Amino acid sequence: MSTALYEVKNISKSYGSVVALSDVSLKIHAGEVIGLVGDNGAGKSTLVKVLSGAHQQSEGTVILEGVERKWESPHDALVAGVETLYQDSGLAPHLSVSANVFLGRERYTKGIFGKMGFLAQKEMDAVAHENLEKVGIAVPQSSRSVSQLSGGQRQAVAIGRAVSWASKVIILDEPTNHLGARQAGEVLAVIKAAKERGLGVIFISHTLPHVLQVTDRIVVLRLGKIVADAPTSTFDAESLLGTITGLID
Amino acid sequence: MATIATRAKSILANQQALLLIVLLVMVAFFTSRNHIFFSNAVFGNIISDWAPIVLIAIGETFVIISGGIDLSVGSTVAISGVVAAFAMRSLTTNGTSPTTTLILGVLVSAGVGFLVGAINAFLITKTNVVPFIATLVTMGAGSGLAIVFTGGGPIGGGPDQAIQLSVPKVGPFSYPGLGIVAIVVALGLFLHKARFGRYTYAIGSNEFAARAAGINTKRHLAKIYILSGILAGLSGYYYYLRLGCGAPTSGLGGELQAIAAVVIGGAALSGGEGRISGTVLGALILTTVTSGLIIINVAANWKQVVVAILIAAAVLLQEARTKGSSSKFLANLFTKKK
Repeated sequence: MSTALYEVKNISKSYGSVVALSDVSLKIHAGEVIGLVGDNGAGKSTLVKVLSGAHQQSEGTVILEGVERKWESPHDALVAGVETLYQDSGLAPHLSVSANVFLGRERYTKGIFGKMGFLAQKEMDAVAHENLEKVGIAVPQSSRSVSQLSGGQRQAVAIGRAVSWASKVIILDEPTNHLGARQAGEVLAVIKAAKERGLGVIFISHTLPHVLQVTDRIVVLRLGKIVADAPTSTFDAESLLGTITGLID
Repeated sequence: MATIATRAKSILANQQALLLIVLLVMVAFFTSRNHIFFSNAVFGNIISDWAPIVLIAIGETFVIISGGIDLSVGSTVAISGVVAAFAMRSLTTNGTSPTTTLILGVLVSAGVGFLVGAINAFLITKTNVVPFIATLVTMGAGSGLAIVFTGGGPIGGGPDQAIQLSVPKVGPFSYPGLGIVAIVVALGLFLHKARFGRYTYAIGSNEFAARAAGINTKRHLAKIYILSGILAGLSGYYYYLRLGCGAPTSGLGGELQAIAAVVIGGAALSGGEGRISGTVLGALILTTVTSGLIIINVAANWKQVVVAILIAAAVLLQEARTKGSSSKFLANLFTKKK
């Protein structure tokens, strides 16, 4: 088996005396979609935070492409090619679609004004539109402010941004939450497109049919531990639910 | 009919156009009551009042767009003017040339402003005190110190040329007034066209998203409060030029005028929204009301009432705008169903 694209080994994380994760190990390969599921409080969010660099693990190692990494901030992970889409979307509603797509990665005009931080807005508008289209997301105008978009469109922009920037791994925390069936379908299509581009996708969701539909492998967390890690084909809706709740061991 | 209605709606939705109309109506009204109002002398006076207020209001615009508030700007005006006055007095007694003294005076007042801004920045970004409290602390300390240092009286003894500088030279603008216009234009470009402004909006709109995008939000916020401090320092220097001395009462209530100008200009105190052009017009409306009421012989205290009405109108308009968009959204839903 090839070396994993992204890997965490023996991760533990405690908040004071509360143990949120204990001895969690997880591997993801390029072009693989893994589903991360578990009940509320199972440790999904904590694991996402460790994977994305938002929190540091108490114990254990994080390895990207065979090299051990220490994320000091989400920015470190971002620069290394690990993109995260947080639950409740990380978009700035007052900014335009393209300003959001390019947030933290702005392009500047040429010459002295660019050095002073002046933005190449037209270029960013055009490229943002192009990038979103490439990952299968059609937004009418990338110069429109995000607050004018519907909830589904916002989520699409957030996912499009993450997918278009990710060079290695993309972590999607509840991307289909609050979406209608058609919009959720679009999100799942974007995940498949990301997989075809050779990205490793970590898909966190409560919506088990979505997980069963789009993932290659499912990892089940319960009370801070991994209780199952198996190909998606070995689960059905019933056995997956049983594993999550602890009715099936 | 429909086109007139939609056009009226689009003007209502455009805060800048609306402010301009309000301003023109005010000018027309004051002129109709007293023709003296429409003169270069009065406009010069309005611009002289406007210049120091717009300086602190521009700083406040950045702060408010970032989702914060700076209550210390008025006190910073006082303390920086006073400290610069002391410095310029001792330079003058030591025989330093007026030009050098006046240039050093700018640096001293900007430096004092920088210091107050840095204290605000430290309290907000390092000790996590909310901006309201942090700047309330420096506001109290600043105005207190200005009075302690001076014993409550004005500090003169600087170069006599100072007061000459505040006389209008180009239309209603004095040379320092033109300098302030240049600062306002430059900062407007930085707010609306450059990364500095982009990050300011992003933080005010969704600080979490800004941080997740890799923006060092604390460092950026620190820069914003320092900018606000420096502008307040320069405003203090401008008052020095106008009065020919440093008075501890300069800038009294300046923070409220600045906030009023920003809010009338269409910014939201919740952050993420606001424009320099709105603040410029907001400050101009405030100073026009002040001069106008004096000229038409209305008791000065009515100014507060007029300003209060303007603020209320601005906030109601903002409410109407957000409601307007949601009702339009609902209307679209229903028409689709048809």
